Amino acid sequence: MKLGIITNNQYGVFQRDILTGVHEIAHANGYEVLIDSIAEDPLHPRLVSLDWQKLTGVIVIANAASDKLLRQIYESGKPISLVSHRVPGIPIPAVTSHNSQGIAELVRHLVKSCHRRQFVYIRGEMNQDDGIQRETVFRHELMRYNLQSEAMYFVRGDFDPEIAAASIRELLEHQVQFDAVLAADYQMAIAAMELLRTAGIKVPEDVSVAGFGDAPPAQAAGLTTVSADIIELGRRATRQLIGQVNGLTIQGVTTLSVQLMIRDTTCPAT
Amino acid sequence: MTASKATREQLRRHNRQLMLHAVYSGLADNRAALALETGLAKPTVSDLIGELMDEGLLIEVGRGQSTDSGGKRPTLLQFVPDARQVVGISLDIDRVRGVLCNMAGKIIAQHHASLLDIEGHPVIDIVQHVINGLIAQLDAPLLCIGIGVPGIVENSMGVVRYAPQFGWQNLPLAEILSNCYHVPVYVANKAEMAAMGQFAFGMPNDSRNPVVVLLNSTIEIGMVLGDAIYHNGGDISSLHISRHNETGRLETFLSWPYLKRRAELLRHEYPDTTLPASGLTFMHMQYAALHGDVAARLLVEEITDILAQVFSWIIAMLRPDHISLAGGIVDLGETVLNRIMEKTESLVQPELVQSVRFSLAESYELSALGAVAEALQNELGLVR
Repeated sequence: MKLGIITNNQYGVFQRDILTGVHEIAHANGYEVLIDSIAEDPLHPRLVSLDWQKLTGVIVIANAASDKLLRQIYESGKPISLVSHRVPGIPIPAVTSHNSQGIAELVRHLVKSCHRRQFVYIRGEMNQDDGIQRETVFRHELMRYNLQSEAMYFVRGDFDPEIAAASIRELLEHQVQFDAVLAADYQMAIAAMELLRTAGIKVPEDVSVAGFGDAPPAQAAGLTTVSADIIELGRRATRQLIGQVNGLTIQGVTTLSVQLMIRDTTCPAT
Repeated sequence: MTASKATREQLRRHNRQLMLHAVYSGLADNRAALALETGLAKPTVSDLIGELMDEGLLIEVGRGQSTDSGGKRPTLLQFVPDARQVVGISLDIDRVRGVLCNMAGKIIAQHHASLLDIEGHPVIDIVQHVINGLIAQLDAPLLCIGIGVPGIVENSMGVVRYAPQFGWQNLPLAEILSNCYHVPVYVANKAEMAAMGQFAFGMPNDSRNPVVVLLNSTIEIGMVLGDAIYHNGGDISSLHISRHNETGRLETFLSWPYLKRRAELLRHEYPDTTLPASGLTFMHMQYAALHGDVAARLLVEEITDILAQVFSWIIAMLRPDHISLAGGIVDLGETVLNRIMEKTESLVQPELVQSVRFSLAESYELSALGAVAEALQNELGLVR
């Protein structure tokens, strides 16, 4: 019995952790795992080569497969689960971190405890479900605290630390004033924090920095995050898939709770 | 009519619940203390403890202190909250939400599915697809399922008498799901479940009779009396109410479909309003009202007027010690809650209002968590 995984790049931090969780549950249940990593060279992604029809089930991580392929797999009746992705109009079950809870907790901490009012938000990839949801919630939460989204800076990050750093560098070059940076993932937040410190800006005294998701590098950097256990996300996706293989019809999204981790890049909790 | 005698099995179940409740709530942690606390004979206590330990619900965790009179140190017992898991489901007009919890109410996973694009699938299928999503995530055996439904529910039978949103009439929901999943299923009105959720997980322990006012597509109230849901609350959308010489059913003033239509009318009347033409939320109303938007202020004022009337009825008739507002309306925030309280004081004796605590129930999973609490209460007697 074989489970197939379609991913952009199996060596990315997020994907690697997902795969760790997938392997753990798949092996415990007697499944072999085949990985199709289609975009290890992001500039030259190749087509999906996995022969999914011969597999017991398929997990697709983020936006690695086209809507057309996802529809084809779903309509064939093959068990399929998505990780951090949704396709409007196709009821494929998915597993995702609780984006709204996470962003809401980060904004509450930055506004209520740290009294921050002038945010820079570093966006994720905006053709990806997590990227879209996190920004939507951020805008919603600004209203809760009577902050105008028109007065905030939304900069490009694409879940890529280099792009995030370049965006922050540009803001500094234009002498834009802000007192908080919230990034759609922790890697972009670390890049922003390093850049700010290099530029002589004190974190957290002058600018608070926080990001979504957590991992040892965030812990090592002392970054305030909401911990989304990505390995657990991989485990849960695999359980969802195996549940379908065992005959459960599943529709909708399983969400995993996150936890606010207050560290050195923001003020202490009050 | 004579009261029927409890069967042997009912008695055993009751005694098990007494024991579990005593250990769970910290009233007793060893065999002798359990016998004292529950009034059961020591051999019965020992038998039941053996049974509960075999099932993994209790474990022994070392020795306690001997009593002042000396003697053998008692073996301490501990409840194992992770030994079983419970599914709680809540239905709204547009969504089915579910939580998977351990027996202490800790959320293990959440699952939700939309009811908006289900292409002719019966709603009950989607409910099952959500339960299936949580069953796939079980880390321990499933103990029971609780479900909160808008509308009129006969909880003792597990039958939904009337839920027009889903076209349900006399639907034996508990029986259908119990046959499917082979565990006990407990059904109640979702506002009642929300009240149970607040009571069990969301408010101070000294609150004994909280009321939850749940505002979504319908307006429903749920109440806990003592330690149990009061099962005659539910949908109050059809009560008549008057405002500014206009009389109508409560739902015609306060339900979400009405509020969206009212916002639309106000948008025509006040073209400068910042209330969005699509995707309106309570958060937009709150934000626009705070920024002096006239249309938003009028809308929020209307909502507070009506809710103050609802609160005054509740306080005058039920004398709760706590009222929580739940549903999307909590995004209107504390300022609006305070305004409702002020207005309520003008409708009923202020002293009565001042003896009530008011809060916003912020969890979107409140009804589903309440369904977990209700199921645990019925199954094991485990709440608070």
